Amino acid sequence: MKRKFDHPATSPRELSGPKYWRSLDELADTPGFREHLAREFPEGASSMDGVDRRQFMKLMAASFAFGGLGLAGCRRPEAHILPYGKSVEYTVPGLPLYFATAMPQRKSAIPLIAETHQGRPTKLEGNPSYLPHGGASSLLAQASVLDLYDPERATAHTKGGTTLTNAQVNDILAGITKAYGGNGAGLAFLADESASPTRARLVAKLKQKFPRAIWAEYEPVQDEPPVAAAQASFGKNVKPVYRFAKARRIVSLDADFFHAEAGALYYARDFAKGRRVTKTTDEMNRLYVAESGFSLTGSMADHRLRLASSHMLGLAAALANEVLGTKVFAARASGLDLNSKWIEECAKDLLAHSGASLVVAGAHLPVAVHVLANAINARLGNLGSTVDFVEIEPSLASGILSLATAIKAGSVKTLLVLGGNPAYNAPAELDFARLLGSVPEVIRFGYYVDETSAQAGTHIGATHYLESWGDARTVDGTIVPVQPMILPLFNGLSEVELLARVAGEENPDAYAQVFTTIGRLTSGDSKKAFEKFLHDGLLAGSAYKAVPVAFDPQRSGSAFAQSPAFAALSKDNLEVRFVTDHKMDDGRFANNGWLQECPDPMTKISWDNAILVSPRLAKELGVVPGGSMLQVARKEEAEFSQGKENAFVFEVTLNGRTVRGPVHIQPGLSNYTIVLPLGYGRTKSGHIGTGAGFSAYAVRSTDALGFATGAKLAKTTERLKLANTQEHWSMEGRDIVREANFDGEEGYLKNPDFVNGIGMESHTPAVLGADKDKSPAFIATTTPRGNSLYESPNLDGPHQWGMSIDLNTCIGCNACIIACQAENNIPIVGKEQVMRGREMQWIRLDRYYSDGHADVQAFGAEGNKALPGDSDDPTVSPQVSMQPMTCQHCELAPCETVCPVNATVHDDEGVNVMAYNRCIGTRYCANNCPYKVRRFNFFDFNKRSLDALYMGPLGHQDEVPELVKMVKNPDVTVRMRGVMEKCTYCVQRVQQAKIAQKRKAGATGNVEIPDGTIKTACEQVCPVEAIIFGNILDEHSAVSTAKRQDRDYAVLGYLNVRPRTTYLGKLRNPNPAMPDYGALPLSRVEYNQKNGHSAHGAAPGHAAKPAAEPAKHEGQG
Amino acid sequence: MSKIFPKAANALPLQIVIFLFILGGVTTAGITYYATPAYLRVGYQPVQPVPFDHSLHAGQLGLDCRYCHAGVEKSGTSSVPAAQTCMNCHSIIKPTSPLLEIVRQSYATGEPVPWVKIHQTPDYVYFNHSVHVNRGVSCVECHGKVNEMSVVYHDQPHSMSWCLDCHRNPASRLRNPEDVFNLNSSTLAAQGKLTDAEKFVHDWKVKPPQSCSGCHR
Repeated sequence: MKRKFDHPATSPRELSGPKYWRSLDELADTPGFREHLAREFPEGASSMDGVDRRQFMKLMAASFAFGGLGLAGCRRPEAHILPYGKSVEYTVPGLPLYFATAMPQRKSAIPLIAETHQGRPTKLEGNPSYLPHGGASSLLAQASVLDLYDPERATAHTKGGTTLTNAQVNDILAGITKAYGGNGAGLAFLADESASPTRARLVAKLKQKFPRAIWAEYEPVQDEPPVAAAQASFGKNVKPVYRFAKARRIVSLDADFFHAEAGALYYARDFAKGRRVTKTTDEMNRLYVAESGFSLTGSMADHRLRLASSHMLGLAAALANEVLGTKVFAARASGLDLNSKWIEECAKDLLAHSGASLVVAGAHLPVAVHVLANAINARLGNLGSTVDFVEIEPSLASGILSLATAIKAGSVKTLLVLGGNPAYNAPAELDFARLLGSVPEVIRFGYYVDETSAQAGTHIGATHYLESWGDARTVDGTIVPVQPMILPLFNGLSEVELLARVAGEENPDAYAQVFTTIGRLTSGDSKKAFEKFLHDGLLAGSAYKAVPVAFDPQRSGSAFAQSPAFAALSKDNLEVRFVTDHKMDDGRFANNGWLQECPDPMTKISWDNAILVSPRLAKELGVVPGGSMLQVARKEEAEFSQGKENAFVFEVTLNGRTVRGPVHIQPGLSNYTIVLPLGYGRTKSGHIGTGAGFSAYAVRSTDALGFATGAKLAKTTERLKLANTQEHWSMEGRDIVREANFDGEEGYLKNPDFVNGIGMESHTPAVLGADKDKSPAFIATTTPRGNSLYESPNLDGPHQWGMSIDLNTCIGCNACIIACQAENNIPIVGKEQVMRGREMQWIRLDRYYSDGHADVQAFGAEGNKALPGDSDDPTVSPQVSMQPMTCQHCELAPCETVCPVNATVHDDEGVNVMAYNRCIGTRYCANNCPYKVRRFNFFDFNKRSLDALYMGPLGHQDEVPELVKMVKNPDVTVRMRGVMEKCTYCVQRVQQAKIAQKRKAGATGNVEIPDGTIKTACEQVCPVEAIIFGNILDEHSAVSTAKRQDRDYAVLGYLNVRPRTTYLGKLRNPNPAMPDYGALPLSRVEYNQKNGHSAHGAAPGHAAKPAAEPAKHEGQG
Repeated sequence: MSKIFPKAANALPLQIVIFLFILGGVTTAGITYYATPAYLRVGYQPVQPVPFDHSLHAGQLGLDCRYCHAGVEKSGTSSVPAAQTCMNCHSIIKPTSPLLEIVRQSYATGEPVPWVKIHQTPDYVYFNHSVHVNRGVSCVECHGKVNEMSVVYHDQPHSMSWCLDCHRNPASRLRNPEDVFNLNSSTLAAQGKLTDAEKFVHDWKVKPPQSCSGCHR
């Protein structure tokens, strides 16, 4: 029986007023958007492309006919059981095995535990033995297992088109050793950076053997502060390791330490420790961020300054003046167009927290900024407290520039390109692809046949890190093993083995090489020590040693010599900021479908990158005709009707080089900075990566690797449709994210249960009546669930599952999305399908903007006059609220009552389950889901290739290669076309834990699972521990404790669907002395405006807009 | 003008209705009886590549089930043994028997012996052996008296309703834990000790899942 919800009728004010907005269109409330959100799925999601109805019927008729023929031979197919010939150690068929390994990154690594099923790695988790990460892992680590099974990786060693055997490859390598034996002149290596001690040892050997050979290393992006800065500050070869957990006040100068900086996982986790608030006696850190783009770090900021990267030196100098109480750096800061009170108060706050504050500068910034940051940290007494400097080996590698010089001089005869992809990502002025062509012999060692391989005569296939022996150091220097989980699928060679062969090692086997390295670092029985190293997944006590440092003002002067004065920016003198893409990194993950389809956390664009511009710049560029500024990127309604962003293509010109790309308007950018995400525009990748986005490397040169000024944007006549998911699955701006300031009159400390004062529940009788203050366990088991005709089972299981998500620590990193995808066999659907709103990820990360500044009266008229982020004042910035949203497992689930076939029902432990076999695909459940979290398999996404529809049995029969199937989790059903799916609370993990517990219980009654045994995939990966899953019947379980907090609230709680997933309200911790202080978070200001609560929203500054009259809405039709 | 329809045709509508009723009844009855696992699967007895005789090994020789099906107490699958397990004895006993040629080949080369699957749960069913055998459900309940089969056949229907019969009434099928692998034992209920079985269900908190999520994930 269908239950109809009585959503309170939306008032005209609510319809027209500002609210949490996720896109400019939502804010503007365009007709297209309004139509869009009234639909269960975005328009076009249920229509088909490519095949017309007539053709479809013909095909189907034919397949029915053949189906009839087939029936005659209908016998039960014979299946076989194929046991091993000889039993395999430790392997019990049906049980997974876990091994410690690590994912190497630039100069760091992520320690991992790999889950293998009969020798086939399927899922990676963080290694909990490595305490700085505590079992968490990242988006990229989660997705890396998919690369292992990429059918488009290099599957053979080749030379000039002919395939080489491994023996032939070994001969080639031995030939190099022989030919260049002696001094090595004419031999050159170009490798990417590595944190492997074994590689470092082998490189030292190579240098010994070939003293005149060139060993160059190149990484397109820097993710660690330059060592030169440490040299200039302290006179030592050191690098900083930040201790965010100890820092009460943090200033980030363009540093995205949640994502772009090395050690981001550790830093995010540590930051959350200082951020987490469970009771009113807790402290909360405060984050000041100055940045040109809009990063995840910026989205967590309590005070955010929109400042061009080229002006960061000015800000650092001004801040240093204030903190150090000098005027030494005044010249550096002159010309900084900024409210000086912002800097003064920020400095005061830092000084008040000496020893517990921290200033972090982005790795891409000039040395001078880092020196200033070091000076400030030194003055604040943070050295050794919130930032440790650890001694590192100085790198002996030369750069790509000196290699290029040598190539031009003709002195390189043989070049080995190890990893990386310089033909794609080297600085543009080198024209590296052409340079490679001029080297007589180029041997390319790489995982993919890519742009660089195209320039090389010989390609040697590399192994994945899950196929090879190796080692690496994490960001704090702990040595971790890289263990193979599977033999090389395509006879690839590991980097260690390749180098060992060139170096002429006696035993070039990678295992032997790693064994030797570790043997030298440990004492006693080296075999035992090595086994322990592999078992633990780390070498205890091998972290870099912190060294005492003292800031030396005399030395640092030189650092300022080469830093140029900065110029004012304008529409004709734009700053370009190059950032690593959140998913593609520098382009190395381009052929990873999970990552390509994962929406960018801020822009929500998948399958593409875009030129990000501020709303102010868009306005000045005249992108928008007429007054409808908000619809810049997608003016015509028709083009918006399918949720596609129909972006204008612009041409960026920088130093005479140009690149074309779609423009996306991103609120919160520095007015005249445009952001170009790197990593897209691959021309030679697999069919997933090739052609997605544009390559920003084309305009990037050596002198401006992080940012450059003097760019221009010019409009072209082209348009490009972007797969932007930001408006899919919108929830009509109800009071979904609830936030408050930490302190202050309306803050958390004075009103710990502020969440109850917001939203519909605060105006209506309690949905649970007298039981509203009872524990979730009591409510779940005792409070009656209404008198519906629909019969749902009694919730009388021994456990009742529930989840709590802390919005205060969630940084929106998207790792949960990919972890869920890997665990639950979720397919990718392709750009075309995403544009139709058919993305399948079970978790979506909602990103809401609020600026408290929207001009209510302008709505429905000529458009919003005060554009968010349009201000001249760089301290005015929109705020961002992140919210992971997935099936809430409502106890009174509205999806269940409308299912005609009982395919979605409750189990006795309170989980809303999907029986895929029963589902007939009516999609009624998705229609009736207030959270819009159900996903429908419009096609056999697991069987079709991305660029084709699945046409039934007569369509193309070429199924996906076996290789691709190997990544599937055998514990989860692979869903077929026509069924609905959604979050299951990782029911497979729950059932396995229950079975394990019952097995252990045997003939006893000890069947209750101890708290903490089960971690859902999203919970396990979360670096900030925002997600807690467990048994709400257990009063002492972590989830019960979390749900008892005052900040606990249910999204759309007034519907009385009684969701099992609840959220903890978000807190912000602004400084009352700051000029941009608001007594309420901007979303609350907007909420109050919308609901006429302006009396208690009397915030100073820009937030103090009186609530305006409801706008006229008739005009919009 | 002659009539198109003879007079007898007047009864035709009624005849058609009756015919349709009968046809519908027969079809329903046919499908209900024939198109069920109880008819289609029970008795399935394929020829195995090696004529392994359970009645000889498990019956006469008294080998424990777990000697070969070693994973049954730990894993979801009971696991068919590797050729190595066979060779533990058959490297000494009948080392040259032509019937064992495939096993010896498998042991030597690693090529698996292609045993034909008899009990096949669909891919969307996640049956777990370990949780059953550790909680008093004997092999016999689902596989029949394998120790008396010289060629193994499908003994029970293994349909979902058949699973649920037991999950809804576990007391009737429970055994003493020490009898689980004794294929000649009988259930507590059959021994007239149903109250004991009910006590077990209560004390061990035996609560077999009846929700979808118990078996379908």
